[in-house]
Amino acid sequence: MDLLPLVANSATASPPRPVLPPLRDQPLRRVLREAPHTLHSALWLGHQLGRQADTTCTSGFAALDAQLPGGGWPRRALSELLLRQPGIGEIRLLSPCLTAIQRSGRLVMLFDPPATLSAWALAQLGFDVEQLLIINTRTKALPSGDSLWALEQALKSGHVGAVLAWLPPRLRAERLRRLQLAAHAHDGPAFVLREMTAAERPTAAPLRLALRPAGADALGVRLLKRRGPPHETPLRLALPPVLSNSAREHARAGFAQGAAALHGATFINLAGLL
Amino acid sequence: MLWVAVHLPLLSLESFAATLPAAAASQPLALIDTHRIVSANAPAQQLGVKPGLKRATALALAPHLTLAQADARRDEAALSAVAHTALAFTPNVTIQPANDAVGAEHAAPDTVLLEVQGSLRYFGGLQSLLQRLQRALVPLGHRLHLANAPTALGAALLARVHPRFDGVDLALTQRALDAAPVWLLGPGRAHWEALQGMGLRTLADLRCLPRSGVARRFSAALLDELDRAYGAVPDPRVSIVLPPVFESRLELFARADTTEQVLYGAGLLLDRLIAWLAAQHAFVRRFTLVMQHEPRWRRDAQTPSETTLELALAEPSRDRAHLLVLLRERLARFVLPAPTLELHLRAADIAKRAPPNTELFPTPRSEREGLLRLIERLQARLGHERVQCLAAIDDHRPELATVVRPADAQAVCRAHAAATAGSSAATNPADDHDGAEPAPGVKVRPVWLLNEGEPLHERDSLPLLEGQPLQLLSGPERIESGWWDMRLVERDYFIAQLPDGALVWIYRTRQLVSNPRPGWYLQGRFG
Repeated sequence: MDLLPLVANSATASPPRPVLPPLRDQPLRRVLREAPHTLHSALWLGHQLGRQADTTCTSGFAALDAQLPGGGWPRRALSELLLRQPGIGEIRLLSPCLTAIQRSGRLVMLFDPPATLSAWALAQLGFDVEQLLIINTRTKALPSGDSLWALEQALKSGHVGAVLAWLPPRLRAERLRRLQLAAHAHDGPAFVLREMTAAERPTAAPLRLALRPAGADALGVRLLKRRGPPHETPLRLALPPVLSNSAREHARAGFAQGAAALHGATFINLAGLL
Repeated sequence: MLWVAVHLPLLSLESFAATLPAAAASQPLALIDTHRIVSANAPAQQLGVKPGLKRATALALAPHLTLAQADARRDEAALSAVAHTALAFTPNVTIQPANDAVGAEHAAPDTVLLEVQGSLRYFGGLQSLLQRLQRALVPLGHRLHLANAPTALGAALLARVHPRFDGVDLALTQRALDAAPVWLLGPGRAHWEALQGMGLRTLADLRCLPRSGVARRFSAALLDELDRAYGAVPDPRVSIVLPPVFESRLELFARADTTEQVLYGAGLLLDRLIAWLAAQHAFVRRFTLVMQHEPRWRRDAQTPSETTLELALAEPSRDRAHLLVLLRERLARFVLPAPTLELHLRAADIAKRAPPNTELFPTPRSEREGLLRLIERLQARLGHERVQCLAAIDDHRPELATVVRPADAQAVCRAHAAATAGSSAATNPADDHDGAEPAPGVKVRPVWLLNEGEPLHERDSLPLLEGQPLQLLSGPERIESGWWDMRLVERDYFIAQLPDGALVWIYRTRQLVSNPRPGWYLQGRFG
């Protein structure tokens, strides 16, 4: 289905040329009819997976990279992740990309995390905990506009390596669009996490994933929106493990089979007996 | 010796206009002294208000005229800002003392003299030095007359007459002085009527007279000034000394009710601060803005009479735009208890260092500076306590093992720069975690923690979370710690699974004396 070879064949008579033949030698109408996506890296045909004009940041999961345009998380654009509830494995999903950015010496900023972060858990995932900057704008005393102002400033400055933001619920579309425009100046991935009900409304972000747990230490990812053909089947990614193998077997057996679950030990209240 | 004189013909008017809000600069303004107009700005003059008119006449011509009296201290503060700007070009800067005139107008010093012979080579010639001087004085917003001459007093006198005078040598200066009117000299103003009666109008006329006669008839001071202007007598000057601490005040004409008005006045004080810093090639680390409020009728103990705003910078800076942005963000969070009448700016903490090089392409250094500015802006608007860093503490109790504290911008950026310098090639993260296990001996912890355990209901001795039964998968991990600070923790931790597959970290308190409510609690979720 790839139309590139057609264009290359017509140019075999001449000395070796770059992959995209100069337009001068091909009538423009012909290129537009046969291979319009070769005109610019930002164009793609509906059945193809789009290329990213900028290099992408690898997500760390081969199955996901194969489905993302450009082979990784996009830079200079928002990537929207929708979850029903925090704590299903989203940090473990993003940790390969974010730790790689930290190792390359750039700053990672978190905006409005929903609960307290555990420094030990982050260190186990590979983060340099001292180098994370957390902006907490959720207090009653501040006007609500400030949380998005801080995010916009960080995106526009262009010096931040990666941004991970939890947006307030029921965000208006034009505010998200404004953040997407600000992300053009940001050289790195920008992740925004929102509630699952936002899937019903359109978004200005070019990439949208829906996350849900798919078993212990596994995450189910559905690509709702991307620059390319729609992806029907959800992916099941194996996250950096928290459980041992035997515990995972227990989990897979699950409730339905009534597998012997671990019981909490019974305690005898010695104090009561005395 | 080459002297450059910078004369500000409208100093009093401009320093008065600075105390008004920005919009009022295009309104008619005039200064009065004992019921007579002394000076008026361009819009007022268009309406017909001229110096010498009586107050009632002026108000009849221009009903919306804003009148005020000239204030010597205000003019002196404005002139010292000009002198400090000039100090960046040469160390020999003096202020020409005012002519002590008898009667007539209130004479304040309004000329600054610079001796630039030693700086010509560094600045690449007189013309480029004068251009740079004019560019440096643009933010202060004064109308300038520039004159350069071999003698100090000659340059000062000629600057009053000509907007721009270039005296390349003594002969040209003397010829120009010959044509200058006689009231320029201080004693000449005092004896003006007598001189006019004798038909002496210009300095040339005065020089034609016999010297002893002039000294006897008028004063020896007149002769002395004449000689000094013509270069016949040496004219040593003592240069001004920069004050060690910057303190400046601005009394606002109209009380400031909004942040914008306070910012406008603060912007002017910042210009003076930057002139003072530029004179000693320094950068400011911290400054204080004090806003004095209007005293109210009722003696209200709660309303403070002044509000102090202290701004500390992570990186010493001299950039007007950046300082103004920080001030604006801090002021935006303030609710002023009363309208502001006066502003004081004080700066004592400065750092002397070489100015940073500006770079065309982004480099690690410019990225570090850009990050610092971003963090400073966020801290200014949101407050220091909302820009946070994490630290891991060696404590077994999960709720105390992580501490959140306000970030230190310098520390973050310094460590960040070190990481850039020593970054190794990023290792490929293992992307196949299927069948992998956490490293043995490592205690897994959830990313999301609740500070207080959330109590869970129980059914069939199994915990329930939001009505769904939890399946215990891994554990127990017993944590018993904290007997030393009265926060004893005796818990058994389990990793449990919700029916949809999400993992949570729950604990069961042991039924010992220390726990009032035994049961299951939720401590965190594995993000």
